[in-house]
Amino acid sequence: MKNLNMSQLFDKLNDVKLLFQYGQKVVPVLQSLVDFMQETVPLLENINHSIADSTAKIPKASDQINNVTNATELATTEILDLVDAISNNVSSIENRLQEINCAEARKAEIMGKLKSFVSGNQEAEKLLEEYASVDITAKYAEEISQMFPRIKDDSYNITLSLQVQDITSQQLAAVDHLIDSVQERLASLIQDIDETQIDEFHSEADKNESGIQAPEGATFDPNASYNKTDNRQDMVDAVINMEKASQAEIDKLFS
Amino acid sequence: MKKVILIADDSPTIRKFVSFSLTMHGFEVVSACDGMEAMEKLPAHKVDLVITDLNMPNMDGFELIKAIRGNEDYKDIPIIILSSLSGSEDVERGMSYGASSYLVKPFDPKRIHYEVSKYLN
Repeated sequence: MKNLNMSQLFDKLNDVKLLFQYGQKVVPVLQSLVDFMQETVPLLENINHSIADSTAKIPKASDQINNVTNATELATTEILDLVDAISNNVSSIENRLQEINCAEARKAEIMGKLKSFVSGNQEAEKLLEEYASVDITAKYAEEISQMFPRIKDDSYNITLSLQVQDITSQQLAAVDHLIDSVQERLASLIQDIDETQIDEFHSEADKNESGIQAPEGATFDPNASYNKTDNRQDMVDAVINMEKASQAEIDKLFS
Repeated sequence: MKKVILIADDSPTIRKFVSFSLTMHGFEVVSACDGMEAMEKLPAHKVDLVITDLNMPNMDGFELIKAIRGNEDYKDIPIIILSSLSGSEDVERGMSYGASSYLVKPFDPKRIHYEVSKYLN
């Protein structure tokens, strides 16, 4: 019995010895782990400050995007006003030209009568011919009339191209929303690292959500694109089975 | 007497552009910046046709169409959707709510004039 107890005691002592031997091996590892953590903490703090700094700058970026949208909107409206004014002026000039054309027709009629009255008077006939040759109003009136369709087409194309403003403002709104989402995620990250608070942080975002989604009730289309050559209208017409307007039908309206 | 068209869009550029495109063809255009303002302006003007965007604050285009179709006084007014959304689900939803036509941005002013003329001439 005594032998058995002694044997158990030696086993236990052996276990203790092994434990000390293991401890001797583990202590340096633990020491290097502690050293590593001590070296890492300033680095993490540095990262934390950098994230906080970047996050604080995001509202400014967001404001700048809004400023760009407002500025382009204002400029576009001003350009449309100017194009509108140009169109009105062109219409007025067209009306005046019509009056000039009427007056020219009347002048030609009077000249014809005058020629018959002065028939035989060579000097008078010569003067009338000279007057006709220097009167270029009718000729230029015709040339100017031919310029109007081009001016109208150009104005029309300017207004058509200005739709890019609406599309880019929607794209910018989408970017703005993405920036806000990133800010929320970064602020959330900072909160996890330490208790730093970001003033503008009102995150209720689902932290488990992996993608950045357009918010509910968004007033922009994140997929808006400015492309005059695509066939999105054709696809929409196909979806609703709408009778497709032929170009001939549309052109008929403008003839 | 000029036919009156109400355009509801939160983009001042599009409101201006639609107004510019249609007034030159003899229509009177009234503007609203969202569905709510459009509903407020309907009684004040004898509106013959509504053009609406879908993405708008306060009251979006879908709600506006529902509100117009649900109102005894305005339920027969033609409604043209003018949106950058072109997915089939948006188109089907808009048409199922009672829209008469669906146009995609950027749009051809000639096409919008064609659609308007289809209902008003």
